[in-house]
Amino acid sequence: MEFNGTATIEDASTEEVWLALSDPYMIKEALPGCAFIVEIEGDEEIEEAAERAPEEDPETLPEAEPEEIAERAFVEGSRYAARMQISVGSVKPKFDTMVTIDDREFPEMNASAEGESSNSSFEMSSGMELVETENDVDVEWWAEADVFGRVAQMGQRVINPVAKRVVGRFFDEIEAQLQEVSEESSGGLRSRISGLF
Amino acid sequence: MATEETDHEDGVQSIDPDDVDTEDILGSAIERREDPALVSGEAEYTDDIQKPEMTHMAMVRSQYAHAEIEEVDTSAAEEMDGVVAVYTADDLDVPGNLPVGWLLDSLEQVNHPILAGDRVRYQGDAVAIVVAEERYQAHDAADAVDVEYERLDAVAHPGEALDDDAPVIHEEAGSNQAFDWEIGDQEATKQAFEEAETTVSLDLHNQLLIPNAIEPRATVADYHPRTDELELDMTSQNPHVHRLLMSGVIDHPEHKLSIRAPEVGGGFGSKIHHYADEALTALAAKDLERPVKWTATRTETYITDAQGRGHETTGEMALDEDGNITGLRVHTKANMGAYLSTFAPSIPTYLYATLLSGQYEIPTIYCTVEGAFTNVPPVDAYRGAGRPEASYVVERLVRQAAREVDMDPAEFRRQNFVPGDAFPYETPVAMEYDSGDYEKTLDRAKEMLDYEEFRERQEQAREDGRYLGVGLSAYIEACGIAPSELVGELGAQAGLWESSVVRFQPSGTVTVYVGTSGHGQGHDTTYAQIVADKLGVEYDDIEVEEGDTDEIPQGMGTYGSRSAAVGGGAIVESAEKVIEKGRKIAAHQLEADPEDVEFENGGYQVAGAPDRSMTIQDVAGASYLAHDIPDDMEPGLEATSFFDPENFVFPFGMHAAIVEVDPDTGEIEFEEYVAVDDVGNQINPKIVEGQIHGGIAQGIGQALYESAEYDDNAQLTTGSMQDYAVPKPSHIPEIKTASTVTESPHNPLGVKGVGEAGTIAAPQAVVNAVVDALEPFGVEDIEMPLTNERVWRAIHENGGGD
Repeated sequence: MEFNGTATIEDASTEEVWLALSDPYMIKEALPGCAFIVEIEGDEEIEEAAERAPEEDPETLPEAEPEEIAERAFVEGSRYAARMQISVGSVKPKFDTMVTIDDREFPEMNASAEGESSNSSFEMSSGMELVETENDVDVEWWAEADVFGRVAQMGQRVINPVAKRVVGRFFDEIEAQLQEVSEESSGGLRSRISGLF
Repeated sequence: MATEETDHEDGVQSIDPDDVDTEDILGSAIERREDPALVSGEAEYTDDIQKPEMTHMAMVRSQYAHAEIEEVDTSAAEEMDGVVAVYTADDLDVPGNLPVGWLLDSLEQVNHPILAGDRVRYQGDAVAIVVAEERYQAHDAADAVDVEYERLDAVAHPGEALDDDAPVIHEEAGSNQAFDWEIGDQEATKQAFEEAETTVSLDLHNQLLIPNAIEPRATVADYHPRTDELELDMTSQNPHVHRLLMSGVIDHPEHKLSIRAPEVGGGFGSKIHHYADEALTALAAKDLERPVKWTATRTETYITDAQGRGHETTGEMALDEDGNITGLRVHTKANMGAYLSTFAPSIPTYLYATLLSGQYEIPTIYCTVEGAFTNVPPVDAYRGAGRPEASYVVERLVRQAAREVDMDPAEFRRQNFVPGDAFPYETPVAMEYDSGDYEKTLDRAKEMLDYEEFRERQEQAREDGRYLGVGLSAYIEACGIAPSELVGELGAQAGLWESSVVRFQPSGTVTVYVGTSGHGQGHDTTYAQIVADKLGVEYDDIEVEEGDTDEIPQGMGTYGSRSAAVGGGAIVESAEKVIEKGRKIAAHQLEADPEDVEFENGGYQVAGAPDRSMTIQDVAGASYLAHDIPDDMEPGLEATSFFDPENFVFPFGMHAAIVEVDPDTGEIEFEEYVAVDDVGNQINPKIVEGQIHGGIAQGIGQALYESAEYDDNAQLTTGSMQDYAVPKPSHIPEIKTASTVTESPHNPLGVKGVGEAGTIAAPQAVVNAVVDALEPFGVEDIEMPLTNERVWRAIHENGGGD
């Protein structure tokens, strides 16, 4: 199954969007149904990494310090454990997911993921590129997914709208957070973010 | 043999059986006696059955189409509320290998375990079963069984599966080739093509279909440890066949296993086969010593019910300069799915290639079929089973050939028909057609369509930018599946006779027991009509029993349009035996020679002495009183028969569709659908009409809507009715039916079988009509289902439409 699209984040700079989309906590906050995203250490299993998920997530933009985010940003070659619950038609599988950051160089990032639930699973490769327009940033994204089991059986007709809804909500949330960044720009946040690059 | 015609363009009118005299009952369109219970909800289906202490079973099925099983962890499931037991392959101590009931010389017989232990080969493969107090608990716990897989590459299509680099599904077979089979004369056919004036060729795809019986498969199993009796109620088209096969699979003696088919909501072939699920339900009940119920969810039926068709075919036809067919060559790659289902090897071979002569006199035919293992559910019989695929190949090639030699397709057919005086007719592909009169059905269809007028109208419409087309489908089928000796020679591991008992009760009522197993066909009605006619007993005094191994001596079941021809034949034979015994009793009591006692309309009468008579009911009473019957005679009035006919029966007919295609949208609209069928004598014309209508609906479903689609990982992407389009009434045109009647000489009723005619005939009638409509665009073929998009693309690839 292939999905792609362009999400426009209004009134933001490429650097701001890049920083936001590099932050595991921001992604977790913005992704509907995501319980945690934790970096995997060594050979540990998803369950082991899950135990290190903080009870309360640290602050994200605009409250967090940009330098702090840069510190915890995704790292090329690293792997992350995530748990996501998605409702597809009549089923609500909980996917334990392993995400690998395949490459990451501003303004492009590619990642692959494998998720498993009791009766369904998926394998996905995906990527995004940020393109600066006049006042906005276009996030051009794509994903290729192999879906297995009960969710696959729902067919593309059911899965497509679900994917659209998840992606749509995700970027809306990112945009909402970044708009707060631009509102706080008097505090010098914007310049501090662009100064990071 | 005389061919009569009947006409029901406005539909057959049902008659109240009370308004029909017994002597007229055979052939009357009486209302079905089974319908009041079905429409009122009183009928009992398997899932309606409740037993004390009954548990529920759910299956853990593979999420991958192909994977190694690394570990199955059932511990979480076992601890859940209400869970009674969880079983994996390791817990089974029975043979547990599903057998294949039809062999071919080159057949690779692969293991088909009822629970997968090492490897799963399609999405429906079961890895574990969970039994719980309540159904929801079983399903919840099934979700909690943790299976670790190592995913393997998968393949869904036979052509790809037979490629050298395809993932091998059964390592013991070495490749994915299930068999390599041929029929006909290769050399002669090659020569016919070398000498041909013209040849035509089409690559045809007959897509995989999901049967979609309205009632999902279900089983209730109940074991009695004190007597070792294991009782199953299950959705079966053939309880005795299921009993025989299952006794081996679960290692339970056949005489301690009883299988009953309660009301069964359709099958279309999908309830013939021996699946894993029913055997697992039986095993669980036996192990737990508690009743166990399993009912498939609709989702499960989509990934486990044996699918149908799945052919990739190249067909070629050779023609001489006068437009005579001189040869036919066909190569088919047939999808067998992940394992060999019960009768699977016969479907794309003997039930397919033997029909490639169609209604035509073709001097030589050669066909090769390669069966391919793939990662889709096992493929087996689905309404028509091989014969729709054959008819599709023949009739699509005939349409293409007529175009190539520039003849009208109707006249091209007429010229190539087996002539009416050539029967019995032996084809080059091992069939001997019993009887036929093909011009008659063609003429009748042309008349109903107003064919010549249509061609003018079509011409006119094209000038106005409208695209009308007519499609013809001259079909033949071999059904009434039997006789045993013949099917044995072809590889069947079973005889295909049918058995019956006709039994008078002392009060003069009659019960008929027969080994077929109806599941919507109206057997209770039609069989009672046959017996009422034979015995001259009132229709209401006759009860019909089917589908119970404890009540019925033996049986082979209902499929292949065999019930009327073979089951009906068995009933007639028993009825005749009863009449003969009754004649001796009547003669004894009337003090006459049996040879002088005539039987007519339910009464015995001494020839020439009308006052010396008694009814067959009186004779029945006397036979059980046994106070005064011949000395050497046993009491009672009943008879058992095993009827094994001489040959298949060969229904035929002409279906035709007129459609209009919108070149801008690819939409297809029916203007007319005409069906002229010759199914031999009709026991009940209303039931015949219903079978024709239903079959056409499914055939149109294949032509325009239905397809089991798999992605690159062999995951079913049309896994629900949201994505798999079963036609709705609004998709089906008004159907005009007519029939000719050419009796079959091979059974006492002269019937030919009607259950599959519509699905066999309809697809190519529709496709030929669309292709005919799009002739101005040079469109020669469109792959089924003819979705709007495919039609639009076909037009646009040829530069037409907006």
